[in-house]
Amino acid sequence: MKITPIIGLEVHVELKTDSKMFCGCNAEHFHAKPNTHTCPVCLGMPGALPVPNKKACQWCVKLGLALGCTVNEYSFFERKNYFYPDLSKSYQITQYQKPFTVNGKITVQGQEIRINRAHMEEDTGKSVHMVINGEESTLLDFNRSGVPLVEIVSEPDIVLSIQAKEYLLKIQQLIRYLGISNADIEKGSMRCEPTVNLKIEDNGKTFYTPLSEIKNVASLTGVQNAIDFEIERQTQAFKETKEVKNSKNKTTRGWDADKARTFLQREKEGSADYRYFPEPDIPPIEFTPAEIEEIRMTLPEMSEQKIEKYQTIYGLSDYDAKLLAEDQNFAAAYEALFDTEFVSKDQDTLKVFAKFAANLFLGSIKTYLNETQENIDSSKIVAKYFWDLFNSVQNKELSSSVAKQVTTESYKTGKHPVEIAKEMGLIQVSDSNQIEKIAKEVVVANPKAVQDYQKNPMSIGFLIGQLMRASGGSANPQVAKEILEKLLKNPTL
Amino acid sequence: MSDLNKLTLTQAIDGIKTKKFSAKELVSDCLTQIQKLEPTLNSFVTLNENALNESENINFSKPLAGIPIAVKDNFCTQDLRTTASSKLLENFIPQYSAYVVEKLKDAGAIIIGKTNMDSWAHGSSTETSDFGPSKNPWNPKHLPGGSSGGSAATMAADEAIVSIGSETAGSIRQPSAWCGVVGLKPTYGRVSRCGVVAMGSSMDSPGPIAKTVDDAALILSLISGHDPADATSLNKKPWQIPEALTSLKGLKIGLPKAYFPKKIKPEVKQSILNAAEKLKELGAEIIELDVMDPKYAIAVYTILQRSEVSSNLGRYTGIRYGHDRTFFGDEAKRRIMLGTYALSSGYYDAYYLKAQKVRTLIIQDFEKQFQKVDAIIGPTSPTTALPIGASAGQAMFGELEDILVEPSTLAGLPGISVPCGFADGLPIGLQIITPQLREDLSVNIARLFESNTDYHLQKPNLNCHPEQSEGSRPEAVK
Repeated sequence: MKITPIIGLEVHVELKTDSKMFCGCNAEHFHAKPNTHTCPVCLGMPGALPVPNKKACQWCVKLGLALGCTVNEYSFFERKNYFYPDLSKSYQITQYQKPFTVNGKITVQGQEIRINRAHMEEDTGKSVHMVINGEESTLLDFNRSGVPLVEIVSEPDIVLSIQAKEYLLKIQQLIRYLGISNADIEKGSMRCEPTVNLKIEDNGKTFYTPLSEIKNVASLTGVQNAIDFEIERQTQAFKETKEVKNSKNKTTRGWDADKARTFLQREKEGSADYRYFPEPDIPPIEFTPAEIEEIRMTLPEMSEQKIEKYQTIYGLSDYDAKLLAEDQNFAAAYEALFDTEFVSKDQDTLKVFAKFAANLFLGSIKTYLNETQENIDSSKIVAKYFWDLFNSVQNKELSSSVAKQVTTESYKTGKHPVEIAKEMGLIQVSDSNQIEKIAKEVVVANPKAVQDYQKNPMSIGFLIGQLMRASGGSANPQVAKEILEKLLKNPTL
Repeated sequence: MSDLNKLTLTQAIDGIKTKKFSAKELVSDCLTQIQKLEPTLNSFVTLNENALNESENINFSKPLAGIPIAVKDNFCTQDLRTTASSKLLENFIPQYSAYVVEKLKDAGAIIIGKTNMDSWAHGSSTETSDFGPSKNPWNPKHLPGGSSGGSAATMAADEAIVSIGSETAGSIRQPSAWCGVVGLKPTYGRVSRCGVVAMGSSMDSPGPIAKTVDDAALILSLISGHDPADATSLNKKPWQIPEALTSLKGLKIGLPKAYFPKKIKPEVKQSILNAAEKLKELGAEIIELDVMDPKYAIAVYTILQRSEVSSNLGRYTGIRYGHDRTFFGDEAKRRIMLGTYALSSGYYDAYYLKAQKVRTLIIQDFEKQFQKVDAIIGPTSPTTALPIGASAGQAMFGELEDILVEPSTLAGLPGISVPCGFADGLPIGLQIITPQLREDLSVNIARLFESNTDYHLQKPNLNCHPEQSEGSRPEAVK
């Protein structure tokens, strides 16, 4: 029996526009006092009319373009009619027949995942369940009602749960690069709903298990775990019941992160009938080819392009390049090091510097940011500091490990890293006269070790250690070793 | 002075400006008339109990300073109950005012009350109102038409100086015809729908119902213009009242044969033919037209409007507004069910989509006609006001009554109904339809017709029918 999971993902992303999708209310709703960001439009009061937010529409198109989608020059909104207490109008304004953008694709770990569509819609309000005066109650908060939402629907091209996670990471990165949403899964500004079923090949026959759509997954790990659970559950269910997919047995399952299992929420009688029809309150929307191009011009350099640039121009490894490009602001801060008067004109030196700086960015700054849970503050990245530091290491005044140490300190304090090294006495002494003086003292003080060296040249490490100690750690170890060897081979010196 | 309530808008404005009388006297006379006639007519659902107070402090520089205006009860009025004549909204006090209401208030007008209508504007009789039907001032045993029946009745009965209605298909023109007053339905998008309880969103058009064409034109000039809060509002400056014509010379006016259906009341037909003759005397060339049978418009209109209604009324879930869905009347329930069915998967293509395609054909048919003529005339309604109870048990009552206004509605065209005759003491209306945005033309033709006839000057004898209304009395709600 061969089992191949078939996984598709619906991703909802809240855009961080100033105002809501169809009214002028503040779109920021996280932790806002309930029902303070509302008006007749987002409350669905009688007679109130939606007016689309132009910026949100443009951002949706921008996102579609970044996902490689085609933009429909003619598109329109539709009403999706269904009842839910926190749906103020009893319909959601969304797109169905003619979404803004369609047919894209992105590459995730070398595999292409097709995007069916990225369309524009509005968010719903929130139902808050709580016990009031001993009674189980549901309260409605419409602050989120009408917040702009882009829905990205993938084709079911994903076969592994890890791939689903990587896909989501990629989408998240892309959205953050565009600066149109925080795409924060924990805070709900990015929400993922996987749909899973299995293709089972057994004795030359092929079966497809019933589809399950999984809701309430609030983390990337959750998505991965929920899919894995569902694959296992469907495998067992198929073995027991042999039930296969039909047009009426798609179910909606919830994800219980604590118990690490999915549970049945709703059995659909066929596909729900949302009675879609074109929204009569909003005229169709047209994007001219010139307007689409104008939006395309606003696309920033995306991570793929950065990764390629880092490898070809800066000579970085694929691994380093990817890590640097992960976060747009981080990458921008790194790139700013090359946009300065101090930059070397020599290509080879440039590459050495690029690698040196990448090590500091990934080794020191990123580690620090991870520890403190901060985002990079580009104002704290001073190109001159990095070039000075680079030159000091090249001149062997500083070791690479000291450079890493002082970079973190410099980022924290804003002080020049070489100054920090000096203050901490971490400047390497490479001056051979100075080192030779100390070496001589070490040789005189350690006759036993000198004898050992004559028998076994490998034992020079002890003497190097003594020399480093005597220098207070500031001697360049390479230079120290060379001088010691010279002295020991020629005791008359 | 007394009987100031009988003045036209133009006369009332002049009287206040020249201080012949005060706004308070004007409002007071309207209120007296309302007190006297409401038990019979039931034109209002809610009266504005502040109206008299508001009339004490008016700004003479404003165009409608101190003018009492009756507004259909589907226009949201901040702090003044708005029910759309449905019990479901009997406790709804809006937190905002409709664009039209804002414009009128900005112009200095005083909302004297909210007029009765078919519940949710579903109908052409006011008989579906949950607050009882309104009565036709010409004969209270007859209906005023609808859905803006209350507004039209206030004009015929001089309960206000001017009024506001809304039309999805016929709801301004048909009651105006039945009540012998002037109803102007603007081009779709000319007047903002913002704050009007939605019925058929793709067709809803607010507009004036008045005692004269000039009055209607003045109101349109004040309530039209682009509203950024309505995405379907046309990006046009407020409509300007055109220079009056002295003759119709050079104008071609079409008379569609299909607008005289077999069941038309003979006196109505004769009045319209007489009106055509009058327009000819005034210089117009009358051309017979072969237009698409209006029966197709009924089918298309019914599908599209019910579909939109089923979605628009979905928000009244019982969670908000205080009453649940059992408070919907039979007509609303019928429309919700039909619309829900038409939009259901598997039926969408056969009904909604097909209807949209036929709508396009209707639009094209009008475009074709307007290559031949400048305006089209016809009866507003095939009958005069029908007796109370006529709509009972007739689910398609409104559509049959509105057969002659539905085609132009679907095409978003402007139209005006003006009084053009009487039969058995009940008024007859002539409608004039023009291309989109050509209200100037319909107003000018209507104005010239009006100034050369005296139908608009005739008034119902309001003292001859003292019998009490079966409808409930309006309540004043702050």
